[in-house]
Amino acid sequence: MAAIVKKILAASLEPMQVDVVEENQNVEEEQHYVVENATIDLDHYASQYVGLARLNRLLFIAEHCNSLKIEALRMALNYTMKTTFNTSLYQIIHHKLVQATSGVRTGSNSSSNNLPDLAPVNSIDTQWVEVTSKKAALKLEKLDTDLKNYKSNSIKESIRRGHDDLGDHYLDCGDLSNALKCYSRARDYCTSPKHVVNMCLNVIKVSVYLQNWSHVQSYVNKAEATPDTSDSSKDANQTISSRLKCAAGLADLATRKYKSAAKYFLQVNFDLCEFPELLSPSNIATYGALCALATFDRKELQVNVISSSSFKQFLELEPQLRDIMSKFYESKYASCLTLLDELKDNLLLDMYVAPHVNTLYTQIRNRALCQYFSPYLSADMRKMAEAFNTTVGALEDELMQLILDGQIKARIDSHNKILYAKDADQRSTTFEKALIVGKEYQRRTKALILRSAVIKCQIHVRHLRVSESPKRRPTRRGNVHSTSQRQLYG
Amino acid sequence: MASSLEHYVNMVQTMSSTGNFTQLCDFINKSSDTLAKNASHLDNVYATLDIQQASLGVLGILCVKFSLSNMPDLETTLIQTTEFLAKCNGEHVRYATDNYAELCHKFAQAIIDRKMYARGIAPLVQAIQKIQIHPAQLTSIHSSLCQLCLLSKNLKPALVFLDIDITDISREGGRFDAKDYLLYYYYGGMIYLALKNYERALYCFEIVITTPSVAVSHIMMEAYKKFTLVSLILHGKIISLPKYTPQVLQRYIKPLCQAYMDLAAVYLQNNLADLRMTVTKHTDIFNRDNNMGLVKQCMTSLIKKNIQRLTKTFLTLSLADMANRVQLVSPKEAEKYVLHMIEDREIFATINQKDGMVRFHDNPENFNSPNMLLELDKEMQRCIQLDEKLRDMDRDIAINPQYVQKSSGSHDDDLPGTSGKIQAY
Amino acid sequence: MAAAVNTMDYSQLGSDLERQELEFGASPASPLLYCQLLAVYVLQNDLCNAKFLWKRIPLGIKQNCPELVLIWHVVQKMWLKDYAGTYEALQKEWSDDVKNIMLAVEDSVRARALRLVQLAYSNIHANEFATFVGMNVDKAVQAAADAGWQVDNITGILIPKPLDPPAAPPIMNEQHLSVLTQYVTYMEN
Repeated sequence: MAAIVKKILAASLEPMQVDVVEENQNVEEEQHYVVENATIDLDHYASQYVGLARLNRLLFIAEHCNSLKIEALRMALNYTMKTTFNTSLYQIIHHKLVQATSGVRTGSNSSSNNLPDLAPVNSIDTQWVEVTSKKAALKLEKLDTDLKNYKSNSIKESIRRGHDDLGDHYLDCGDLSNALKCYSRARDYCTSPKHVVNMCLNVIKVSVYLQNWSHVQSYVNKAEATPDTSDSSKDANQTISSRLKCAAGLADLATRKYKSAAKYFLQVNFDLCEFPELLSPSNIATYGALCALATFDRKELQVNVISSSSFKQFLELEPQLRDIMSKFYESKYASCLTLLDELKDNLLLDMYVAPHVNTLYTQIRNRALCQYFSPYLSADMRKMAEAFNTTVGALEDELMQLILDGQIKARIDSHNKILYAKDADQRSTTFEKALIVGKEYQRRTKALILRSAVIKCQIHVRHLRVSESPKRRPTRRGNVHSTSQRQLYG
Repeated sequence: MASSLEHYVNMVQTMSSTGNFTQLCDFINKSSDTLAKNASHLDNVYATLDIQQASLGVLGILCVKFSLSNMPDLETTLIQTTEFLAKCNGEHVRYATDNYAELCHKFAQAIIDRKMYARGIAPLVQAIQKIQIHPAQLTSIHSSLCQLCLLSKNLKPALVFLDIDITDISREGGRFDAKDYLLYYYYGGMIYLALKNYERALYCFEIVITTPSVAVSHIMMEAYKKFTLVSLILHGKIISLPKYTPQVLQRYIKPLCQAYMDLAAVYLQNNLADLRMTVTKHTDIFNRDNNMGLVKQCMTSLIKKNIQRLTKTFLTLSLADMANRVQLVSPKEAEKYVLHMIEDREIFATINQKDGMVRFHDNPENFNSPNMLLELDKEMQRCIQLDEKLRDMDRDIAINPQYVQKSSGSHDDDLPGTSGKIQAY
Repeated sequence: MAAAVNTMDYSQLGSDLERQELEFGASPASPLLYCQLLAVYVLQNDLCNAKFLWKRIPLGIKQNCPELVLIWHVVQKMWLKDYAGTYEALQKEWSDDVKNIMLAVEDSVRARALRLVQLAYSNIHANEFATFVGMNVDKAVQAAADAGWQVDNITGILIPKPLDPPAAPPIMNEQHLSVLTQYVTYMEN
């Protein structure tokens, strides 16, 4: 999905951003997949977001779910027409929609394409495109002129607002790089901490759309470093703080720092959480819960999640996740993992968590395996396999990997299919290490003594001087290297 | 005998008996033209001089003989050199280390040219032992000896020198060259490889590739290739090189060894089938470099490495399972590998033939036996000795007048009127 | 079952033979020297040096000295760890020059194999064991029983006795004390 956004940007990329785009491309350009059994109510889902957030998410769903493709594209198209000046995005969406519906018309293969209706797609509304472009251009000119006037009048506050307005307009047009430029320029004209925070939030928003996560993180830090203003209410401060935590959590999630992402999400205040330009409260619940399950140990889980009154409210929005959490904590791993599997399809349609679903699931499963085994000296692998919905053979492989990674300290008795806990004998390991270190010391010291002799004797490999006669290099079999290689002998 | 030759003989005998060796060396060097002109009589001169008492004089003659463009009778010269090396007086010839080394080098070269390799081994062993100030001193003759050992396939004589850790290098009047150094350790590595002493071989190759260098040397490149392979065999990965490794290695040599880098990367994945494919892909290169034998040993070592990984995760395992996991042909083959590894003390295990299982054990060593105590003592002594050696070296530098002057040089600069004497503090 | 083999005399012989070979220089040494040296290497289980010795022996001598070739066969089998093949290659009429050495070789191979079986197997088939020690099955089983191993005649499984731990050298207390003092002094510097 992000690829589409990037293509739009491709026309007006700054050199710096090219690198950024490439870096993210590596992370997300996994194999393209299609989810069939999603159970998302698109209307409800989309209504939680505004602006580019809604559009990006709808387009992501369209990319990855055939059954919801047409509906998602239609919604995106209508929204674009109604609320933005983004003609290029309109054209792209329209094109996709035409492709999608024509594909169905010609009776394409997949039987799972159970589309509700095949209302014909209107041809491209060129008039709208023209009118909107003109409108956008006019507005741009006006804002530009206004800004010039403000600058000549040197009223800081107006200039700042002028930049912000310009940035907003660029955002509506879908020109993210210019939007970022404008918002950033507002920095020099901020006269109060509130302005600075505002500017940061704007930059953060655009950076998230651009998927420039390091930018997001640095601006979150900047905003948090700004001293609180005494004139705004406590609630307002909390709202801002929550927004920052959401953004920070998102950035950490995208850069695979799952534990710190979980911590951020868990700190968001439920009542004051409003960030429809970015994510919805149920997103926070999902991201936070998954990351916590994958990275927290039992104590942390208990204290920070299960007993947390604030996060409980988030979990109410996603009852399935709440069940998963409690089952995990109660060690009912089989049902917990089954529920997780049921959730998977929907998660794969969420643009921010989709690339991490498999990793997170593996981590959760590994954690479950470790926790299952931790109280035991020995465990019957057959029972364990049952508890984890797998065969003994597959379990053996999983356990082998966990042992090699050091996550479980155990050994497998493959003959009787029992897992035995194993403590390393500290004393023996210490002796072994001591001997190894001793030998390593001897080796290095001898090499150093030799090297000091070499340096004293000024031995070094250099190019042959012309006056020296080329020497033959005798090899083991007495071969002579060809003349052309003589120059290389130092 | 021509008068000039008589003169030569007299001077040699006089100065040798009075002990004016430095002057004598000077004289001999200046006489080389004279001797060359009288090439036909040199054998007479040789016969006249006593090898023990006039070693330097004889050395001079032999050097001239080897430098003649058309040497009349090589065989005689070789015999004479052998005799000389056996009987010469070590204290005398140390005044002319450059000529001595040159003689040995030419001697070795002549022998190699005539393919009489084994003939040079005993003389060169004596040659080295005579000229060395102490057993841990490296000379340029060392590399010739190793070369002859390899060519004649008689490796043991070189071990006497290779097993000693060098602490000092003889300059040989400026004659000692980087090439002698590189070749000694390169040949040394190959000798250790042939005798399957992988640790020492790895050490030798590492020395070659960490030699200070601003140019690409073929010897270094070949050493790097072997270093990679031996490192894989011993440690399962390419071990990290010290900080003083020269830049040319990373920049120029590594890119020229792509096949080996590929092999190392695939090796880390622990998959035998993939490794076999990579080997097949680069078979020509490995054969051309004469490294195919080592490459095959890499493949065996991967199997062993995978078996060792199994010991870290399993308590018992069926031989059939092991064969599958390690990609061996049959349980019988797995049993063979396990047996060999037990014999070589690479793993601790027992085979249960009745059930076709292997049981892995921990290292049975409890570190509480007198044997182990003695072992630890020995190791500690070695470390202490090395540390003392380092202290001695440090002290030598600290009291070196040049060093003291340089390190307190800033003081001298401030006082313009000093005579350069070191201030006593 | 296997007498302890004392290789000390032969290592001196080996060094002497090596020195003599070098004295021949580039000319070939006598077939006798090669036979004995090769046999000594086999006894010392130094197969690498045995291999290189064989490589440098001139072709003429190899062709004219059948005993040398026979010894080389033993080396080949040992290299492959083919116990059955090794014993078979050892069953030859050796000349007096090498007879003692080759008998010692057979003893040492058998002793080593026995140790290995004790070290590596918790139980082993009788006929496999027989291969390791180069005897026929009945004799092998009998020898195992004599040595105190458990023998199950029905399944043909033997359970070896575990190895004795190596002998511990005596530690002299005064010497040990001085060594400890030395360590402490060293570490305090």
